[in-house]
Amino acid sequence: MTFTETISGLLPIAGPISDFIGGAVASLIIVSFLMSLVAVSGIWGKRKITAAFTDRIAVNRHGPFGLLIIVADAVRLLSKELIVPEGVDRPAWDLGPLVMASSALLGFAVIPMGTLFGLNLQVADPQAGLAYVFATASIASVGLVMAGYSSNNKYSMLGGLRAVAQNLAYEIPLVVTGVSVVLFAGSLQLSEIVAQQGQTLVSLGGVAIPSWYAFVNPFAFLLFMVANLAEVGRNPFDVPEAPTEIVAGWQTEYSSVYFVLCYLSEFIHIFLGGAIIATIFLGGPAGPFLPGFVWMVIKILAVYLFTQWARSAIPRVRIDQLIEIGWKGMLVLSFANLVLTAVIVGVIA
Amino acid sequence: MGTTMKHALGGETFTVEYPEETPEVSPRFRGVHKFSQERCIWCRQCENVCPNDTIQIVTDDQRNGEQYNLHIGQCIYCRLCEEVCPVDAILLTQNFEFTGDTKDDLAYNMEQLQNVPWYKDIDPLASREPDRGGWIGEGEGEVDYQ
Amino acid sequence: MSLEDPTKPELDAGETTEGVDYDALESLLGEYAIGRESHVNAEAFVVRPDEVQAALELLRAEAGFDHCSCVTAQEYEDRYESIYHLRKYDDPTQEVGVVVPTSRDDPVSESANEVYRTADWHEREAYDLVGIEYDDHPDLRRILLPETWQGHPLSLDYDQEQPQVVEFSEHANPLKEDHSGDAESDTMFLNIGPHHPATHGVLHLKTTLDGEQIADVESDIGYLHRCEEQICQNGTYRHQIMPYPDRWDYISAGILNEWAYARAAEDMADIDVPEYAQVIRTMSAEMCRIASHMLALATFALDIYGDFTAIFMYAMKDREIMQNLLEDLTGQRLMFNYLRLGGVAWDLPEPREDFFEQTRDFLDELPEKLEEYHNMITSNEIFQLRCVNTGVLGPDVAKSYGATGPVARGSGVDYDIRRDDPYGYYDELDWDVVTEQGCDNYSRVLVRMREVEESAKIIDQCVDLLEEWPEEERTIQSNVPRTLKPEADTEIYRSVEGAKGELGIYMRADGTDKPARFKIRSPCFSNLQTLPEMSQGEYIPDLIASLGSLDIVLGEVDR
Repeated sequence: MTFTETISGLLPIAGPISDFIGGAVASLIIVSFLMSLVAVSGIWGKRKITAAFTDRIAVNRHGPFGLLIIVADAVRLLSKELIVPEGVDRPAWDLGPLVMASSALLGFAVIPMGTLFGLNLQVADPQAGLAYVFATASIASVGLVMAGYSSNNKYSMLGGLRAVAQNLAYEIPLVVTGVSVVLFAGSLQLSEIVAQQGQTLVSLGGVAIPSWYAFVNPFAFLLFMVANLAEVGRNPFDVPEAPTEIVAGWQTEYSSVYFVLCYLSEFIHIFLGGAIIATIFLGGPAGPFLPGFVWMVIKILAVYLFTQWARSAIPRVRIDQLIEIGWKGMLVLSFANLVLTAVIVGVIA
Repeated sequence: MGTTMKHALGGETFTVEYPEETPEVSPRFRGVHKFSQERCIWCRQCENVCPNDTIQIVTDDQRNGEQYNLHIGQCIYCRLCEEVCPVDAILLTQNFEFTGDTKDDLAYNMEQLQNVPWYKDIDPLASREPDRGGWIGEGEGEVDYQ
Repeated sequence: MSLEDPTKPELDAGETTEGVDYDALESLLGEYAIGRESHVNAEAFVVRPDEVQAALELLRAEAGFDHCSCVTAQEYEDRYESIYHLRKYDDPTQEVGVVVPTSRDDPVSESANEVYRTADWHEREAYDLVGIEYDDHPDLRRILLPETWQGHPLSLDYDQEQPQVVEFSEHANPLKEDHSGDAESDTMFLNIGPHHPATHGVLHLKTTLDGEQIADVESDIGYLHRCEEQICQNGTYRHQIMPYPDRWDYISAGILNEWAYARAAEDMADIDVPEYAQVIRTMSAEMCRIASHMLALATFALDIYGDFTAIFMYAMKDREIMQNLLEDLTGQRLMFNYLRLGGVAWDLPEPREDFFEQTRDFLDELPEKLEEYHNMITSNEIFQLRCVNTGVLGPDVAKSYGATGPVARGSGVDYDIRRDDPYGYYDELDWDVVTEQGCDNYSRVLVRMREVEESAKIIDQCVDLLEEWPEEERTIQSNVPRTLKPEADTEIYRSVEGAKGELGIYMRADGTDKPARFKIRSPCFSNLQTLPEMSQGEYIPDLIASLGSLDIVLGEVDR
């Protein structure tokens, strides 16, 4: 039973209206949870992590461990003046950040976030779940182009165009690698993929190692991690933003609330990437002792930590090199992986 | 990547948490000037040597000092005034903590210069004594007393 | 089998085994030389303003003077004068000056741009500040001052009080349509800077892009121009000039800059420096070089890795140690003002053992730290992907542009003033000049990293010497008169190896206690000039990387 069904089941009425209300309430809960996750990890955690890599302390003046910086930053960002540069293409410029933020949020609708207090925190569980996630996640590039092109700024435009080129080059390997998982699971439904990973792969000295696809096919996992770095635009693939080259890329002209939306969408995108990886490679919310939901969050944050680590240690590639790696390297490798998986699955089945 | 993780897990930081923890400054550090009216003989050598006219001295016609003004916002902290002073009447203390709301606030007069506190009670004279001989009483050229 | 003795190098015209034979040079120049002057550093030949190119070409091609180190322009009561300071990359002690006088009514002289590409910017600066015009110059515009400036600040009749009125209509309109070229062209004009995360100061690059590739780039400098030359002309030799060199290359290279002035002034006024002071100078200068190269490495990592890189902080952390040592020694962290004519301001800090111990600690840890940097930077495949074979600057191009320092050495030009024209205590010590043959961004970074090792070697030997120096011979300053008045019309051009390359000072005395002309040959100024050569046809990220690998300091470019 999905989260939506649970909530609508509690309502005194039945039918489409109760489904709608149930879905709205469920999404609201998930979204507000995500927002607070972004607030903690995006504003506070990011500083602390970066500081740890660079031998510094980072925020420590606002409250315990500097946690109140979240409040201070929220006030600061929201109270800033919204500067609308001359000559921006108004509807597109306004819509860009919204499209980015909402597309990433939409993806979470089908992610099985695990159970907490007996509640299954998955808003919906359609048959084509995985395809849906990939589809919504890539809508963000439309937002990037809108933001970049409408800003009336050459740096923004370069950033927007880079973003498109990058997304084209990496979306395909990403999806193709995802398909290899589908071959294993035999289903696009995310809950089914998670369930498939619950089986035991091998038993080592009494400890059962589950058949997470990261263990079954580590090569696909690696490919997916790399493609995901490009998808969320983190080092070595942060060329659409590339501060020190094109200032801030597509978000150069955004300030105040719109900047918050851009920032938010970036982080939610990273979390969505993390959630997809956790779901299709790391057994979703599975894990010992702790509730499934907690495990899910831990896995998402682990992927997030990885992106931050990459950011502080890996150089950025050039845009032409990035395209080259995408089309000539990743694409070939991902198809090879797909064919290989198909053969293996075919032989075993 | 491994190296950065090593640093991250090492847990060492080099941040100086400033107001709680004051940075170590060298005894030779050149901070705000401190002026001693008792010592000053109003020879105006500091005013002459100052590379950018930061020091302004006003004397009456008997060459008795009336004003000693120093714009610490304009000063480049080269310490030449201290070096030429034959009586150690002007010193650069270790004190680097000063503020001003306007540029005018940074133009110190004689009283303000006398009241500049020693930083951590360090008297710079002690650490600077050894080199003073190199400056005073040597050289063949004319000495520009006014 | 060749009968020539391979150990005996081929001599250029006018060269003897002892150095330059100026009489031979004079006969080589023949009719071009209409006079001869004697500068402290070298002889100079007077050349007619319409024969500059021919004379310089002769000196370059026949006599081997392939390095136009500096172009000094100045105004006398009766004439203008441009001086071309020429030397050889193989042996910078072989110098010659070419003096080109022009009349006050019509100060036009032939441009040397055809012979030495570096003359381009130097002559623009001469035009801008002094007001000499150069015939056949490809692009004679103001370089440091804004286009709208009235008058030439270093000319004699310049009115300091004159207000610089600029009509609103004369300002460049930032909002106007800025398609350079015709409307049909596919190129895009992009301003990189003056406020850009990667310009290392206030530098404005006017780039023309073809897609993302650089079709053309032009540096617009002068945002940080303070007329340091004039500041120095208003200061006395003895005291007042020394604080200012710290402010040219302000990135912890202070003592190296001070040494440039100290060397020129000491040679001019014939001042001896005690050996003990020379050792301290050598040690502190190399400390500055390490600090400066660390910063170069840190910011280059920023340019390549992005703004969250850990390397930046690690390098800054290591630089911090150097700065603490320098603070103990000089009393300041950046604006040292430590050298004095005839010595240094202070003896080593007491207790001396602590200072030596701290220095040694740093030197002991350095190899491990450098290993770490090599792990993170030079052996990283993506870094190599980005830096190898980008920003290529061939040795001949580098020479023609007068590139020096790590930029030249990264292009395989074996040129280091410390070794080739020794000063201080360098010739007594055991160290090597680092060169790399790659000519690309990677080589330049590698040169800096390896130079840090060499500097550490020098410091180590200096510490040894200082520890064992006899107590009674620890003289830090020689006896220098309180007022220095070098003879009128003494002219000198002297250079030292600064952190970024050859930092030269030209001074002319007029019999007072202040120099009549003080000219700074900034290595960054010449190095920055090579940027278009390096980045044309490459991508924006490569342009940024090349700019980072040049390691310019705008304080020194603009002065």
